[in-house]
Amino acid sequence: MSGRRISRRVILAALALSALTPLGLLMVASVGSDWFFPSLWPGSVTMESWQDAFRGGGRMAGALGTSLVLAVATGVASAAVGWPIGRAIADLRGWPRHVGAAAAFLPVAAPPVALATGLHLSALTVGVAGTLAGVLLSHLVPATGYAALYFLGVFTLFDRRIEDEARTLGARSRTVLWRVTMPMLRRQLGEAFLLGFLVSWAQVATTLVIGGGQVRTLPLEVFSYLQAGQDRYAAAGALLLVIPALLMLGAVRFAVERAEATPL
Amino acid sequence: MTAPALVLEGLAVRFGDAPGLRSISLAVSPGERLVLLGASGAGKTTLLRAVAGLAPIETGRITIRGRDVTALPAEQRDAVYLHQTPLLFPHLSVFENVAFPLRIRGLAEPSLRAKVAELLESLRLDDLAGRRPHTLSGGQKHRAALARAMAARPAVLLLDEPLTALDPSLRDEVRTTLLSLQAHYRPALVIVTHDLEDAAVLGDRIGILLGGTLSQVDSAERLFRRPASLAVARFLGIPNIVIGSIEAGQFRSALGTIPLQSDLSDGPAAAAFDSGALRPDSCGTLRGVLRGVQHGPRGATLRVDVAGLELEAAAPVGCMPRVGEELSLALETARVTVLPRAGDV
Repeated sequence: MSGRRISRRVILAALALSALTPLGLLMVASVGSDWFFPSLWPGSVTMESWQDAFRGGGRMAGALGTSLVLAVATGVASAAVGWPIGRAIADLRGWPRHVGAAAAFLPVAAPPVALATGLHLSALTVGVAGTLAGVLLSHLVPATGYAALYFLGVFTLFDRRIEDEARTLGARSRTVLWRVTMPMLRRQLGEAFLLGFLVSWAQVATTLVIGGGQVRTLPLEVFSYLQAGQDRYAAAGALLLVIPALLMLGAVRFAVERAEATPL
Repeated sequence: MTAPALVLEGLAVRFGDAPGLRSISLAVSPGERLVLLGASGAGKTTLLRAVAGLAPIETGRITIRGRDVTALPAEQRDAVYLHQTPLLFPHLSVFENVAFPLRIRGLAEPSLRAKVAELLESLRLDDLAGRRPHTLSGGQKHRAALARAMAARPAVLLLDEPLTALDPSLRDEVRTTLLSLQAHYRPALVIVTHDLEDAAVLGDRIGILLGGTLSQVDSAERLFRRPASLAVARFLGIPNIVIGSIEAGQFRSALGTIPLQSDLSDGPAAAAFDSGALRPDSCGTLRGVLRGVQHGPRGATLRVDVAGLELEAAAPVGCMPRVGEELSLALETARVTVLPRAGDV
């Protein structure tokens, strides 16, 4: 085996270890009881935190459900809104294009707390502060910014001539969208959904400020558990934060690859 | 008499801020092939896109099958536009690509399948029906794109440089496919190209786009023999352009006098003729010196110095003269086009 190959394997193993070790530790922490320094292993094991996560009416289960609803809704809505915005910016030329791109970048670039503070005023004005809809709207702001920037890149490279040809073949604009453009860009749509999902999934500041404690998502629960010193629950919550995101990533990749491999 | 498939009347199209095309008028009959020839940037593609409804026009009228389509969107014009590179829908199989125009028209499935199968068979694509475009060769992609266009049964098929950037064997394949499909389905074909040879082979008539206007529309033979202006003659690469003047119904130049076949007023003029009009002839009245022999795919031509003018002449049949040899040459005046010079030489 060549030296280069060995070093590549070592690097890959180190990467895998660095990704899996924290998850392993979290897993142990989530079931460990009576675990104090300098013990390498918890004194006893309990499934209490996981039972709460999956028990109907459990605090963590409720937060997990709210997070999922928000993330899926944000993923769908941000992809749906980001598509036309990104396309419209891609159609611009010269300084209007730069202004459009900067406008889309603004909610992404703004610090989450600053963004949350600004949005809070708007949410209060509209009367959605402290509601699920208000939190969803606040998640949509950065998620749509990401999606618009993503689709700006997509439509900058997209060959519009294929749409032109479809139109001369007799397809109306809506038919072109549904039968040509969207199927062609389904991978990008899936990725934009995932981007929006992950942005919402990780939101803390906007949820905290706009939700005002009325809307409890999983990241907020993890913070609460950490502050209260309930490490077992915090570890279970942290793992729950990772697992659906990874599952969603895998599901989107699988769906896209399957769709691309299936003749229509 | 059959109504024209396509009529353009006084069309003006801008290229961004540039003036673009103006006063474009022409008619194309059903089943006719019109080739629009022009240099790069002459506005050929813009004109095709305007006819297809993909680019706005400033003024003028576009009629397809007797219906004014000027204000109609692309999907309602009955004119299919094909780009230079075949743009098949990558997410659809060959079958579904060809079926696309029929599906959006709501054709019943059995009828749709029969029509698509017929098209695929006629283009030798039936074995590839289930394949995705990215698995096809260049020629197969072109055939599939043509099949899809024909499935729409357009009145007008607009082809943008269909043979450009193809290797010679693929050019022949695409050209043959195009001509056989057109003979079968009889759409009016408007093809743009900058290649003279493609134009001559594909076109029943050729239109020359120069300086934003349609300078001449004629058969290939008439175009090369009787260019309408010096600009057209130059664009067509007619090798011999001799400067002179018209005096009392005759063209006078270093080559002598040539009687005029048309009424032209006195003034500066130029004579244009191809190499076939000038040939070595022992009875010829012109004297020249052979400067070189050019060999090309269609045989050899001579480069001769006649009265200080470097001209291209046809090579003699049989014995080839030597470079530097004096030659007697005859000019076939019937093949000479005399054109007025309006300060453009």
